Amino acid sequence: MLRINTLDGNGRMSTQALLQTIASAVENGETEFHISASGQHDIGGPLWNREGRSLNFTVVNPGQRVGSMCMPNTTITVEGSVPADAGWLNSGGTVTVRGDAGDTAGHCAASGRIYIGGRAGARAGSLMKHDPQCAEPELWILKSTGSFSFEFMGGGRAIICGQDSQTLPSVLGERPCVGMVGGIVYFRGPHHDLPPDVQLMPLDAEDIAWLDRGLDSFLAAIAAPKLKRELSFWKHWHKLVPAGDGQAANTVSMSGFHAENWFEAGLFGDILPDDQTVLPLVPTGSARMNEPVWNNIQEKCNDCRICLKNCPQAAIKRREDQGLKYSSNARRCTGCGICVAVCPRQIWQLKPLPAL
Amino acid sequence: MAAVMSQDIGPGDMPWRIWHNPEACLACGACVATCTFGAIYATLPLPLAGHAEGTGPAPAKPLIRQKAGTANACTGCGMCAKVCPAGAIEPKFNPDNRWSLVARKNGPIKRGGRSALPMPRTLDSIVVGRISQMTDPALDSERHTFDLRAPLGRVLLPRDIPLKTNGDNLLISGKTPPVRWIYPLIFSDMSIGALSTRAWEAMILATAYLNEQCGMPVRMCSGEGGMPQKLLESERIKYMIIQIASGHFGWNRIIAAMPRMKADPAAILIKIGQGAKPGDGGLLPAAKVAPHIQAIRGVPRTTLHSPPNHQGLYSIEESVQKMHLSLNAAFGFRVPVAVKCAASATSVSVYNNLLRDPYNICGGFFLDGIMGGTGAANAVSLDHTGHPIVSKLRDCYRAAVNLGLQGRIPLWAGGGVGLGGDAAADAFKLICLGADGVFVGRLLIQLLGCIGNEQGRCNACNTGRCPTGICTQDMRLVQRLDVDRGAQAIVDYMLAFDAEMRKLMAPVGNSSLPVGRADALVSTDRAVADILGIQYAC
Repeated sequence: MLRINTLDGNGRMSTQALLQTIASAVENGETEFHISASGQHDIGGPLWNREGRSLNFTVVNPGQRVGSMCMPNTTITVEGSVPADAGWLNSGGTVTVRGDAGDTAGHCAASGRIYIGGRAGARAGSLMKHDPQCAEPELWILKSTGSFSFEFMGGGRAIICGQDSQTLPSVLGERPCVGMVGGIVYFRGPHHDLPPDVQLMPLDAEDIAWLDRGLDSFLAAIAAPKLKRELSFWKHWHKLVPAGDGQAANTVSMSGFHAENWFEAGLFGDILPDDQTVLPLVPTGSARMNEPVWNNIQEKCNDCRICLKNCPQAAIKRREDQGLKYSSNARRCTGCGICVAVCPRQIWQLKPLPAL
Repeated sequence: MAAVMSQDIGPGDMPWRIWHNPEACLACGACVATCTFGAIYATLPLPLAGHAEGTGPAPAKPLIRQKAGTANACTGCGMCAKVCPAGAIEPKFNPDNRWSLVARKNGPIKRGGRSALPMPRTLDSIVVGRISQMTDPALDSERHTFDLRAPLGRVLLPRDIPLKTNGDNLLISGKTPPVRWIYPLIFSDMSIGALSTRAWEAMILATAYLNEQCGMPVRMCSGEGGMPQKLLESERIKYMIIQIASGHFGWNRIIAAMPRMKADPAAILIKIGQGAKPGDGGLLPAAKVAPHIQAIRGVPRTTLHSPPNHQGLYSIEESVQKMHLSLNAAFGFRVPVAVKCAASATSVSVYNNLLRDPYNICGGFFLDGIMGGTGAANAVSLDHTGHPIVSKLRDCYRAAVNLGLQGRIPLWAGGGVGLGGDAAADAFKLICLGADGVFVGRLLIQLLGCIGNEQGRCNACNTGRCPTGICTQDMRLVQRLDVDRGAQAIVDYMLAFDAEMRKLMAPVGNSSLPVGRADALVSTDRAVADILGIQYAC
């Protein structure tokens, strides 16, 4: 057991001196530490024993980032509260804070466990993620978080027990879980201002079994086992999971909007009837720009049928019951004028049709 | 066959030449059938021995030829290429054309669309160069709550707001001018008449959808062609900025509908001029004055010219007194009244005068630059008159700053916004230079499917033969336009615009619109940087 007291009269050990002292002790095989800190940062990680033995720290009064980048086999217990970034980038350690944690506790934690025995500040658990090579990270908070908690969360589980927080407007602060794409947030107590990124769900049996087991370890770590009964009324709990991409698709289509919400008979229906038929670019009937006319006034047509054979729409009709007569079927004819082009005697002529 | 004479107009004189590949051609005739300009026709290659008697071999496959002459000139719209199943036809621009010489045979060339002499865009030499990098945190464009709202209406100086206290409460004790906080992009004035009924309906359908389904308070300006009766009598009139221009077309019906109005319009816009043809009045060619247009406007079928001035206005002061006062009064001083002018070397004088308006009845100054579009104008006006928007907007903003009156009469800028396709970038830069918001017109019809461009393609909005059914009243062509698809395209673009605005606001660190934050911009052009008062960067 290495005991370090960072204060010597009016002298205070610098963060750098403390971290180097700890590092060389670890190098020499020390595995147990008791550190009376005075605000030194970054205590607890990343450190490892060469033989793979576990490292245990008991810390009082640390500065920021206690347990940050903490490795597997490292256990840190802080008596009392800590400032920002406790367990930041936790990579497998167990970090216990018996009091409150400052802002961004558990930020980017990717493995290991973080236990907070009080409240956590703003952006708690933001960007937590789950590396499939490791066990998923856990962030347990006894009371509540500040605003913007679990922003961009990508994996792992966060548990907010809501103890002593049931009269707050939200145990998750304002605007939690914005941009959350993975993981689960379990919470007990009020919430509001949830973004569309997440959906609120009740717990299922698997959730309850998992929470029930984990709660024992958590309460043991923060030395509050008596709270188990109060915190395990599971119907008081909910979970938040990512809404997934399907949620945003719930919009009204333009044609649905037009059909349901628009002016009867259209905006101009009183002056210009319009059934909203949409015509293709190649028209037929009265939408044609031109119409072919079989203009056999001088009876020059020699019935060669070249027009019949060449009409791309097979729109030309030939009759001889009341004398020879060619015509075009307006329902098929596009007014392209191929008949005009191929007629050896210029009988077919193209006549412009008027605007509708 | 008629002899060809030296001074005849031939295909080589035309601005667009039809390229046709007879080997690939299927002779289906779709190209000729779809061409609204009658610019092409099918014919047979010559000579065809025996064919004249109809006794020879089956005739060769027809060729597609272009008509020479001004009446049926190909506009390069490309619909023939679009419908051709074989890729056998396409209009190609003819750099050797003599069009500007031969096309004036019947007087000045009339054209719609836009300038055919595009100048370099000032906005393209400006980038958003002041990025929050360690100096201050950038915002999260996806999740931060941004305030994309711009004022339309007279904004009072704090000291002029009639406030009094009543115990712990702050009350407004007197009359204040109406101000609407709206989306910073207005669908700008294209009239019923210039546009087809379907195109106009698609725009207001998109406006309603954006308001009612997307929470975006976009407003649309009617243009100078009156308003549909049904809209006048609907709650949705609140989305409309009703325009009054020198022709006052449709205003008798607007006034007559007042007793039946369920809501106030968003604003009234007095159009003095437009950027595409400043100093020239509106023009609606007879081909587009269909019976329903005659009804709305109260005119016979003829070419409709609006005077270049509001007759009866002879000075800026009189404009304020007569037009602003009368239109404020007509709507009970509840509706903002703004004015739209073409950008001009004299714009600052106008704005300075408006800023001195002691009655608080001028609710906005819309400045329209040279790159705006129009339904019809003389080509000479389109190509050779006007004033770029960027420096003039900046001048107006700085004039207001010099008076300590910036933000009091909102400045709205337009004329080429979105010309390169990126309206958000243009809007953001103009806002940083002092605009409260921007207005777009041509961009909307391009979203509806207009295929015109700055390189002279189509731009036949004046002919009534619009191949996309947008700028015509011929129902044969109007029916080509799918209102829902068009409205959806506008909505999609606006949602992207909104996301892109956030992408620009976030790195600058602004939650609200960065009006006048020219420090956010740098220019890679020294002269542009100097005249706009922004950093030069290279």
